Amino acid sequence: MPNLPQRKAGIVACSGEELAEGTVTRLAALKVLHELRPANTVTICLPLFLAGSEGDRAFARFHPTITVDGCELRCAARGTEMYSGKPAASIVVNELAAERGVGKIEGRRRLNEAGKQAVDVTARRLAELVDRFVGKQDGPEQVTESTVLQPSEAKIATCSCGSGVAVNKVLIAGESVELLALPLIFQHCREKGRAPETAGEDLLQNLKIYNYVPPEAEASYREAIVREYAAFCAREESR
Amino acid sequence: MSRKEVVVIPCSGIGKSLGSVSREAAYELCETLRPDRTQLVALSKLVLGEEEARGRVRNNPAVTIDGCKQMCAAKLVRHSGGTIAREVAVFEVFRRYKGLKPEGIAELNAEGKQLARALAEEIAVDIDEIAEGGAHA
Repeated sequence: MPNLPQRKAGIVACSGEELAEGTVTRLAALKVLHELRPANTVTICLPLFLAGSEGDRAFARFHPTITVDGCELRCAARGTEMYSGKPAASIVVNELAAERGVGKIEGRRRLNEAGKQAVDVTARRLAELVDRFVGKQDGPEQVTESTVLQPSEAKIATCSCGSGVAVNKVLIAGESVELLALPLIFQHCREKGRAPETAGEDLLQNLKIYNYVPPEAEASYREAIVREYAAFCAREESR
Repeated sequence: MSRKEVVVIPCSGIGKSLGSVSREAAYELCETLRPDRTQLVALSKLVLGEEEARGRVRNNPAVTIDGCKQMCAAKLVRHSGGTIAREVAVFEVFRRYKGLKPEGIAELNAEGKQLARALAEEIAVDIDEIAEGGAHA
């Protein structure tokens, strides 16, 4: 198994502009992205699931994603599931705040003290979930087998708006199949010096991290991905 | 002449300062400059297709304020069947205020707040025209 770059969790906040709890979601997400778990997290604006590209919509299929909503409408959780993928976990601020005994949250533009407390409580809960899904990596670096590829391992909070996750259609056993993250997988394998004729198993294992591969179709997937990898290597060599 | 209420929809930009400017400008408009003529609509509700929010967008002229080129607010208002009376792109307005460099996302710096205020004042003039039944952009 190759030593893959570290895994990151996705955070999607509702940012609900009408409610103070929406402001809490936004600030809590930013606290985790910028202060608590900057190396392990990435975000995207919720509306991009509709307004953006197919790559933006692949976000929650690529990153284990935690949604954070201000109210019971759960726009972030439901919107993410509708347009991107099922969230790995969801938080609702007003429920969490009630559970933790936080007072009445007010001030969508400038939060009151209870609102600020709710930001801390929500951010801590988010950080716990990030640790659960990707391991606590803001301390000593930790790389697990089930990692997610990232183009950059810089220890900064990342906004994925518009950058998208690569989605390619590949012909497998006569059918066109959508696969995530192929360029990253290929780039990674090539950097490891794998020749197409010996890379089949590595490619398949990496592919399975990001995509569902039906067990009975593994041979077809392996054959197709080796073919695509050979074409990728040829293109790279001709540059 | 009857007065209309204008819905204001800022983007939900979470990764860039200009997204925070769009949100701050929307609050400046709806809470300080024109509270009696505007109502804020959360973009996340339009993502979900929430009926009450879609109704407000369909039945009132809309002002969208977007922080980046993705123009999520404008796209989602159109997707929801709304009519955009004024479409604001903060990154374009920013070019006219070169002395103001917004920084910070969770907390905008003073120049970012100044830019938001200037932007809100520009839009307030348009809102008066729209609310009085003037021509839409």
